[in-house]
Amino acid sequence: MTRFVESTITFPYKRSLGPVVGAFMTALTEKRILGIRNADAVLVPPMEWDPATGAELPHEFVEVGPAGTVESWTWVVSPSEQHPLDHPFAFALIRLDGATTPLLHAVDTDGPGSMTEGMRVAPRWRGTREGRIDDIICFVPGETEETEGDDTGGAAEPVTRMDYLASITYRNPVPEAADRATEASRDQRLLGLRCPLCERVYAGGRGYCPIDAIALGPECEVDLPHQGTITNFAIVTPVPYPGQTETEPFVRAFVLLDGTDVIIPYSAVIELPADEIRVGQRVDAVWASPAEETEEGGGMGGSWGSLLGWIPNGQPDLTDPDLVNRIF
Amino acid sequence: MSAPTEPATSNDIAVIGWAQTPMVRHTDKSETHLLMEVITDAITPLGLTRADIDFTCLGSCDYITGQAFSFVSNLDAIGAWPPKRDSHVEMDGAWALYEAWLRLQEGDIEIAVVTGSGRSSTGDPALIYPMEMDPYFLAPLGADPLTFAALQARAVIAAGIADERSMAEVAVRSRGKGDVETLLAEEFVRQPLRRHDVPPITDGAAAMVLATGDRARQLVERPAYIAGFDHRTECHNPSFRALDDSPSTRIAAQAAGLGDAPVEVAELQTAFTHEELLLRKVLDLGEDVAVNPSGGALRANPIMATGLCRVGYAADHIFGGGHRALAHSTSGPCLQQNLVCILEGRS
Repeated sequence: MTRFVESTITFPYKRSLGPVVGAFMTALTEKRILGIRNADAVLVPPMEWDPATGAELPHEFVEVGPAGTVESWTWVVSPSEQHPLDHPFAFALIRLDGATTPLLHAVDTDGPGSMTEGMRVAPRWRGTREGRIDDIICFVPGETEETEGDDTGGAAEPVTRMDYLASITYRNPVPEAADRATEASRDQRLLGLRCPLCERVYAGGRGYCPIDAIALGPECEVDLPHQGTITNFAIVTPVPYPGQTETEPFVRAFVLLDGTDVIIPYSAVIELPADEIRVGQRVDAVWASPAEETEEGGGMGGSWGSLLGWIPNGQPDLTDPDLVNRIF
Repeated sequence: MSAPTEPATSNDIAVIGWAQTPMVRHTDKSETHLLMEVITDAITPLGLTRADIDFTCLGSCDYITGQAFSFVSNLDAIGAWPPKRDSHVEMDGAWALYEAWLRLQEGDIEIAVVTGSGRSSTGDPALIYPMEMDPYFLAPLGADPLTFAALQARAVIAAGIADERSMAEVAVRSRGKGDVETLLAEEFVRQPLRRHDVPPITDGAAAMVLATGDRARQLVERPAYIAGFDHRTECHNPSFRALDDSPSTRIAAQAAGLGDAPVEVAELQTAFTHEELLLRKVLDLGEDVAVNPSGGALRANPIMATGLCRVGYAADHIFGGGHRALAHSTSGPCLQQNLVCILEGRS
């Protein structure tokens, strides 16, 4: 039975708006809706370029709406967490008065039976507006715009940027080989997989040979040595970003296991200050005690489980000048 | 590999085989694993090994997989040692096929493999696709594929190209089950779309083998020659498009030579029932053309491979003795970008 892991990836984007979208968003904070003139047409939402020819449009803005006419619609029975309303609503193409193209937005009404093509709608504004398309919460039937809550007024400065938080949750299968490698690490075993065709050995629970493109099952497992040599390293100076937990410079080392071709990449080092690490340094594996909680792995470089990192073992350095090239 | 004596022309490049994984709602295999198996399945019946492949181009989407640079791990499926010529498109495998077709025209190589792969079950498509929309006006509203499809369906119905009954008929024919009256009694999922108008969520991958000139003819009896190939795109925001038309499909089909001779089969990547009816009209396909005999995207919709499968089924028609077939792929909301590939057999 395959195990699945759930992970949520979030990207807090800050988007530049540019002269046209920026003008539109700034106007939204003032409860005004702008289109842009394109010959005889007025494009809403405004574009920097003619959608048909790509020609740059002069910045000739035209105030439209705020009321408009529904040209087409569909009914959302079960809104998602991303939708503007948490109860059933219509998505509609709304042609605002004075515009020649329709704007997609939500319409809040009591059911699909009250939606018609040609119906008149007007915006329901947020009381506090930031310069985003969802400063308009939705449109409502009729000619009269509304504001929800206290109106805190327009932006003091032109709006030039917009936040957008992308967040997606995924469920991914964990390869059986990765689980077996992690499990073996609990017994302080470093598991490898030997390809029966090319005889190359891979560590970290990679369940196939990328050279011969075949799956490697439990019958290919071999135990790997717990001693090796640092071939190369990076000293990472942490920069702040959402989720960053490191504060001090730290080492990521690449370790070539004795008597093999196997590199353990991106490894932590223990009792080895960043300014003392050297290529050729001899190291031993350090394991978590059985009771210790460790990550299951599956991150960068493979699944290592209870393998915490590498510690200098006092043996003389190796001096092979080719060592530094071994990072794979 | 013997060097070709003269450069291949765009007229002498053929599909010689393809394979697809089982198409399922939920696979427990990684995308790399799917690709490893499907590439083997595509090349083995031709007597080829990975060492014979001169160029690969893989189509996939990191957004769907949820792993940045997931296409890099997918390289493990091609056996890239010694180092290989490889490329990737963040598009359906049909666009990978287009790139391979261009690459083969350089004439210095003979065999290419292209793939399309996706595990839609990894995330929730209804939440992922809005993030790929216009980031200023559409993504913040959670504008999702069902909404766009429903709005286009309404436009197509208003133009008299489809109605709810003809859409249900497409669903019954594609899936080979159900009856129109029962389907029309169902509730709307996104008016005017009912459940049967909407594609399934599918995990799967496909791989296709291309060869040039004599090599193609040595490997198979009846190569499916690429007679014409083109793709065109329209403006990204559906607000600025006529939703009851698909000018990019029409232009791509003209450029690919649809008008030069009749086709017997058209495999269209129409994930929603109204899209098939719209494209039949745009491409002016008569009753004598078999549209989506495979069941199309309504039967299996492995995102990033659905279009490549259309080319595969069109090639099957040629392999089986057919003369000429059209394959279509699409990308973006409301048929934004469209690709047309015309395959033919030669005596």
